[in-house]
Amino acid sequence: MTAAKTTPSYPYEGPQAMRRPVEEALQRVVDPEVAMTIVDVGLVYGVSVTDERLHVLLTMTSAACPVTDLIVEEVETELERIAPPAMRVDVELVWEPAWSSDRMSPRAKAFMGW
Amino acid sequence: MHGHGLFESRTKAAAIRLVLIPAVLVSLLAGVAGGLVRAGVTLPAVSAEWFDHAVLGHAFLMICTFMGTVIGIERAVAVKEPLAFAAPLASGLAGLLYLAGALHAAAWLALAAAAAFVAVNVLVVARQRAAHTALLLMGALAWLAGNGLFVADTASSAVIPWWFSFLVLTIAAERLEMTRLMRRRQGASQALYGVLAMHLLACAVSSVSPRWGGLLYGASLVGLAVWLLRFDIARRTVSAHGLSRYMAVCLLLGYFWLAISGVAWCLTSQGAAAARDTALHALSLGFVFSMVLGHAPVILPAIARVKLLFGWAFYIPLAMLHGSLAVRLVSHWLNLDWLATGAAGNALAIALFAATVAASALAWRARYFTSARSHDDAATAP
Repeated sequence: MTAAKTTPSYPYEGPQAMRRPVEEALQRVVDPEVAMTIVDVGLVYGVSVTDERLHVLLTMTSAACPVTDLIVEEVETELERIAPPAMRVDVELVWEPAWSSDRMSPRAKAFMGW
Repeated sequence: MHGHGLFESRTKAAAIRLVLIPAVLVSLLAGVAGGLVRAGVTLPAVSAEWFDHAVLGHAFLMICTFMGTVIGIERAVAVKEPLAFAAPLASGLAGLLYLAGALHAAAWLALAAAAAFVAVNVLVVARQRAAHTALLLMGALAWLAGNGLFVADTASSAVIPWWFSFLVLTIAAERLEMTRLMRRRQGASQALYGVLAMHLLACAVSSVSPRWGGLLYGASLVGLAVWLLRFDIARRTVSAHGLSRYMAVCLLLGYFWLAISGVAWCLTSQGAAAARDTALHALSLGFVFSMVLGHAPVILPAIARVKLLFGWAFYIPLAMLHGSLAVRLVSHWLNLDWLATGAAGNALAIALFAATVAASALAWRARYFTSARSHDDAATAP
């Protein structure tokens, strides 16, 4: 069960050495409205890392959210800190499949009283 | 791609800061000044004509040209369509026109703003078909209805319910979206739709029968408050820390006043004139402004690109707002002399909040530049 807490809830492709720093960087981005990280809310849909590109698929819970740009920027900033200089950080916003509460981490569900 | 997007969003933020925010501030200042005079506060003799309009148009300035413009900007930033800024531009300008004495032109422009805002929300629904986006659209339609009645010079007892409904439905929609993070009990959604259907019916009935319309309206506000207190995530996030907890405190206090307003709305409709101020201002100051205070620290960075450093000082204007509102509202039952004091406290709370935001923006800069400099020093150290 402890594995559920440490294993990212999104598909990851790329070198194992980058997996943990990427996870930690994403865990530093918190949505203050819900008091949880974007990983716990389940907004990260996938990460793929190659030598030249760190690609993240990200969603939002609402298309009417004005804070979207800010969260995307914060993700970029956190990832640029851990990415080697030659690696381009690319955060892509996606709406399909739509976010649902099934994507929340066990920790997030516990916090919200599931 | 991202560099380009960032540049675009920075240009947009600069335009918002230079054009829309000054218009928003004019509406806010004039609206607050008008409200103070209505509550019996003696302001330094202002004989200018615009001031008479500010007193007369207090509700129009606060709801349509201040809140309407703020919400319009917020939605335009979210949909990322330059044309969507037509709505807040029109409502912001409507405020200036009203103060300049072009009352009829201002009312028409506000109607156009609401129509543009409806179109923006149709786009939001097209992008995401969900209960909360449909509710945002209903909020926009309520604003359109209110502004239509305002243009037609209908009695304020018919206009005000629609205007407040615009704010209430917009806030309800945003909270509904958040409740998706909670496990929903069977029937919770249906209960909310029932309350909101009653709310819309109440708006319509208020035009023909303020007595029955007001009763239904008040009942729907109480129902919404109970629903939010029961199902909103604020009950959970209030146990978090920092900004998240502060936001939750703002929300929970807002729900309390929403219920009080509902009861007062019922009493007013049955002829208790002393409850009228409570019906209007527990809703506008206690509920809506509490939401504004709670969300400004996250929304301002998004729309104006101003970063804020959150701190405990944000609780000072919040305490001032709710404390002075309590003084204001009990004045009608205990001592009417307190009304002006309470209203002055409401205005002071808004001013304190503006000062807190400014200070927290400076604090963020100080911290950011200090850490950037020490980082540079470290980098250049031998």
